[in-house]
Amino acid sequence: MIEFVSVTKKFPNGQIALDDLNLKIADGEFIFLVGPSGAGKTTLLRLITRETWPTAGQILFNGEDILKIPSSKIPLLRRKIGTVFQDFKLLLTRTIFENVAVPLEVLSRPDQAIKEEVAAVLEKVDLTQKADSFPVQISGGEVQRTAIARAIVSKPQILLADEPTGDLDPQTALSIVKILEKINEEDKTTIIMATHNSGIVNHFKKRVVFIKSGKIEGDEKEGKYEAD
Amino acid sequence: MRQIKKTLKLLRRSPYQALAAGLAMTLTFFVTSIFAILIIGGQIVLNYVEQRPQVIAFFKDDATETKINEIIAKVKATGLAKGVKYVTKEEALAIYRERNKNEPLLLESVSADFLPASIDISINKASDINAVTQVVREEPEVERVITPENLVEQLVKWTKTIRLGGAILVSALLSISFLIIIMVVGMRIALRRDEISIMNLVGATKWYIAKPFLIEGAIYGIVGASISTFLVYALLLTYSRPIQEFLGPIQVFPVNPLFFIYLWVGEALIASVVGICGAAIALYRYLKIK
Repeated sequence: MIEFVSVTKKFPNGQIALDDLNLKIADGEFIFLVGPSGAGKTTLLRLITRETWPTAGQILFNGEDILKIPSSKIPLLRRKIGTVFQDFKLLLTRTIFENVAVPLEVLSRPDQAIKEEVAAVLEKVDLTQKADSFPVQISGGEVQRTAIARAIVSKPQILLADEPTGDLDPQTALSIVKILEKINEEDKTTIIMATHNSGIVNHFKKRVVFIKSGKIEGDEKEGKYEAD
Repeated sequence: MRQIKKTLKLLRRSPYQALAAGLAMTLTFFVTSIFAILIIGGQIVLNYVEQRPQVIAFFKDDATETKINEIIAKVKATGLAKGVKYVTKEEALAIYRERNKNEPLLLESVSADFLPASIDISINKASDINAVTQVVREEPEVERVITPENLVEQLVKWTKTIRLGGAILVSALLSISFLIIIMVVGMRIALRRDEISIMNLVGATKWYIAKPFLIEGAIYGIVGASISTFLVYALLLTYSRPIQEFLGPIQVFPVNPLFFIYLWVGEALIASVVGICGAAIALYRYLKIK
């Protein structure tokens, strides 16, 4: 479980990204984090991976305050979290297989285990045929599926997806979120997806947390979202 | 093993930077090897000269055996001599003949009468040469005294100069190699920025991210030291004959192969430490991960 307790994040220029935010996310939940650009969605995700530091408050992950984790232990925290970025962040000089294998290499898994686990996850996101291609040789949707495969290959407890459908056409965007839903249902992975794609949010009928100016303005089970 | 393979793959991807760092290391350790050999060679020459009779006293033709024995006893009585060897006229002729056996012209009509009898005095400490020289010079039967004191002094001076010059040059080259490695590894960190940030986010430890760069630094050092040792070995092998001819009776060849193994191991160790330290500084300076 993740819990934000009175979390405030203020940037050095005075801009407030999160303002006394309280939020609880249970294990195995699928949450859409919605709101206009600059609302604080990305900051919230980056706080979970401890890429950034709050000005005040507590962030609990499985009951442990992640702000108290020493720097040397942060990699262990991050191994429990998978991340999918809007700009994919794939390595262009590596094949799809090699990109997906990165988290397993970091875990120093044996070569044979890497082969098997990557093959399994590529099958899950329907990319088996593209294993030896390079990111520039595949479509936008396939690139994003590769990013998802990389995020889930090490079987994280939580999957953070920051605008994963941002640059995709509606059909591809829908297929990407369906993959995330499948991961959530089959593996019981907690999914937190930041988006302002109202079509997607309204289609899937999941919990919707609406953030505006760093505050939670709405939190509904099977919520809806109307973008401005 | 996977990390080493990965590092080698990365080196292949940008070979020019790797070449620059490798060449800098090779040059540094080639010069280091040359100076090491010069210093060791200088020491061998110095030892040779120091172990030779340091004072040779030649007697007048009328010096009697009894008088010569008295002089030998006097020298021994000083306690400064390690040994005194009497060389008769006949023995001097035999030495002369042996040295010039390939020059028949020089051997013609030379008899023992042409050469003086002498005593070769080897001294315990180079600083006692003067005192012993003084003892033999005072004897009226002694015609001439030869002392290599100046030669030893000159050799010591040269060895010191080579040591100092070598230390300065090698330090300068080491500093340059060190800076080149910092620069090359720094560039590689910048080139792999995206990969590093992804690895950081998927839970790689700092050590995991840093390891390939440290291995890279060590590889530059080991490759540089290996090439330089091989070059020096090839050079010595090629020029061993003229060098030995130049040194005359001072035997330096063949060089024990163990020497090159020690040289290689020593240099590879120092070079890899330099490479790893260079890479570590580059990592400290340029690897910014949260």
